[in-house]
Amino acid sequence: MRILLVEDDELLGAGINDTLTRAGHSVEWLRDGKLALAAFGQEGLEVVILDLGLPGLDGLEVLRRARAAGKKTPVLVLSARDATDQRVDGLDAGADDYLVKPFNVEELLARVRALQRRLRGSATNVLEHGGVRLDPGACTVVCEGRPVPLRRREFMLLEKLVASAGQVFTRAQLEDALYGWDGNVESNALDVHVHNLRKKLYPGIIRTVRGVGYIADPPA
Amino acid sequence: MKPPRSIRAVLLAGTAVLLIVVLGAAAWLGFDAGQDEAAELFDARLATSARVLAALVAPHAQAARAGAPVIVAIPGPLETAEHDASTSLGHHYETKIAFQVLDAQGRLLMRSAAAPQAPFAPAEAGFSTQRFDGHAWRVFALRAGELWVQAAERDDVRTELSGKLALATVAPLIVGIPVLLVLLGLLTRYGLRPLADLARRIAGRPAGTLEPIRLPRSTREIAPVVEALNGLLERERRFTADAAHELRTPLAALKVHTQNAVRATSAEERKASLERVQAAVERSARLAEQMLAYSRATAARTAAPAQAVSLRQVLEDALDDVLPALRARGQKIAVTAEPPVDEIMVPGDHEKLVSLARNLLDNAARYAPERSTVQVELHQGPAGVSLSVADEGPGIPAALRERVFESYYRIPGATGEGSGLGLAIVREIAAQHGATVVITQGAQGRGTRVAVTFR
Repeated sequence: MRILLVEDDELLGAGINDTLTRAGHSVEWLRDGKLALAAFGQEGLEVVILDLGLPGLDGLEVLRRARAAGKKTPVLVLSARDATDQRVDGLDAGADDYLVKPFNVEELLARVRALQRRLRGSATNVLEHGGVRLDPGACTVVCEGRPVPLRRREFMLLEKLVASAGQVFTRAQLEDALYGWDGNVESNALDVHVHNLRKKLYPGIIRTVRGVGYIADPPA
Repeated sequence: MKPPRSIRAVLLAGTAVLLIVVLGAAAWLGFDAGQDEAAELFDARLATSARVLAALVAPHAQAARAGAPVIVAIPGPLETAEHDASTSLGHHYETKIAFQVLDAQGRLLMRSAAAPQAPFAPAEAGFSTQRFDGHAWRVFALRAGELWVQAAERDDVRTELSGKLALATVAPLIVGIPVLLVLLGLLTRYGLRPLADLARRIAGRPAGTLEPIRLPRSTREIAPVVEALNGLLERERRFTADAAHELRTPLAALKVHTQNAVRATSAEERKASLERVQAAVERSARLAEQMLAYSRATAARTAAPAQAVSLRQVLEDALDDVLPALRARGQKIAVTAEPPVDEIMVPGDHEKLVSLARNLLDNAARYAPERSTVQVELHQGPAGVSLSVADEGPGIPAALRERVFESYYRIPGATGEGSGLGLAIVREIAAQHGATVVITQGAQGRGTRVAVTFR
C-alpha cells in the first residue's frame, strides 16, 4: 500500500518507515507540514500517517486544509498530544483515526489495515479471489488450500490487483504502488513479479492488457 | 526557628495598647473634670447653706452676747443610711457641716458643736479652705447685715464623694477595655476565617495534586494569595505536562525500533533496528539528564553560598564533557581571553557554572556544521566579566531569541535532537548568578553567539 508518512522527528520517522516498509508498504516520508500538504493529493496514495507538531505548518492545519480542498485520503494522526479534547480536535479536523505516542507497531499496522479496509468498503482484511486467499495482516497467501510463499513485492502487486479486481492498472500505477518514491525501478521488474505470481499461483490470475497494463479479472 | 508571628496576636496586642492609652487618657480627663464639677456643686450647696443659715439665725444672734456664744448641736451624717440610696432618714452622702456666726467685730455669737471657739476664718467674704478640729474644711463666709455667717464642710468627705462621683463616670470605660478586647479577639478570628479556610484547603489536598485552588467565597485580601498560588501550580503543572510530552516522542522511537528489531526477518534488518534502538536510548538518556539538570538548577536556588570560581577552570571542566562530541563532528574550538589573563574569577557555584558552560558548548557542537569552529571568548571589561560561545550554525532568528529560553522550546524544523532545555538551564543558572544572557548573531553575520555577562 502506498503510504505518506509525515513525521519531523528523524529517529521516530525512521522507525515508522522501517515498520511500514518491512510490512510491504511503499512509504514516502516527509518532515515538513507544507510539503505534506502538497503531497496529499497524489494519485494512488492510500493512507496518510500524520504527526501533529510539524515545522512549516502544524499537522492539524495540514489536515484541515487538505479536507477543505476535498482530499479524501484516509488519515491516521500520530501524536504525543493525548488529552481527550486534543483527540477530538484531531478527529474533527478530518482524521480517520488517532494514535497516541508511544504506540505498538502491531497496532499501527492494524490501524493502517483498518483504514485500507474502510477505503475498499470491505468487512474483513482477507481478500478472496478465484481460489486464492490473501491475508494482508499476516502477509500470507493460500491457493486452493495450499500456502504459497510470496516475496514482499509480489504480495503487494497481488494485493493491489485483487483488491480492485476488474480494474485495469497501468504499468506506471503499479510501479508507483510497488516502489513508491524509490525511483530507479528496473524496467522489467514488474514483468518479473507478474511472471512469478502466475507460476506460483496459476497463469490466469493476472491478465495482460496489451499496451496498457494488467488486470485481475473478477471471478465469473 | 522562631515561631511564626500571628496576625491575630499582633492585631490584638496593638488594639489593646491603643485602647488602654486612648481610653485611659479619656478616663483620666473625665475623672479630673468630674471632680471639678463635683467641687463646684459642693461649693454652691455650701453657699446655699450659709445663706439659709444667715436668714434663720439672724434674729437669734441679735440676742446672743459676745463671750457667751450659743452652741447648736447638729447630729452627724447618718452612718446607718443605706449606701447610695435616698431614704426617709437622709442620705449616706450627707457631709459633716459646721458653722459660726460672728458680729461685725469678729466676736463669736453662735456656733455649731463641731466648730472651734475661735473664728475659723478671717472676716472676708467668699470661699476658703481652713484647718481645724484635725481636718481640712471648705469654708464659705457671708456678710449678712451686722453679722458674719461662716459655713464649713469637711473637705475629706467632699473629696471622697467627688472622687466616687468621678469614678462612677469613668468606671464603664475601664471595665469596657477587657470586654472590648475579648470581642475584638472573636472578631479577628471571624475576620481571619478565610485564611484558616485556605490553609485547611491546602493541607487537605492529596499529595501531588496540581489542581488550582478554588475558594467558594474569596476576599480581596486572600484572592491575590490564591491567584499567586494557582499561578505557581499552573507553571508546575505545565512543566510536568511538557516533560511527559517531551518524553513521548523519544520513547515512541525507542519502542518502534525495539519492536522492529524483534519483528525483523533478517539479520540485516535486526542490526539496522538495533543500531537505532541504541540512538534512541542515548537520546532518551540525554533528555532525562537534561531534565534532571534543569530541575536541579531550578530547585537549589539558594543552596550554595557564592565562592570565587575560576572561569578558566569552569571552561576546562565543561570542555572535558563536550570534547568527544566536538571531535566526533570534526569541530574545532578556539578559546580567547581579553585582556589576555590566566584567571578570571566570578562569585558563584562551580558545578552550576560548569553546567552553564557545558550547555552552551553542547548547543554549539550540536547545531554547528561539521568541521566548523566554535569560538569561546572570556572578556573582562568595565561592564563586567563575560563568557561567550559563538558557532557557525544556522543561527536563531531575532524573533525567537527570547522564546528559545523557554523550557522545552525548540525551533520548528531544527535539526539536532536537542532537549529544548539547554538554554533554559543556561538562563536559570545565569539568573542565580546575577548574570544576563544575550543571543546575537555570530561573527561574520552568521551562526549564533550566546554571551553570559556577570556584573
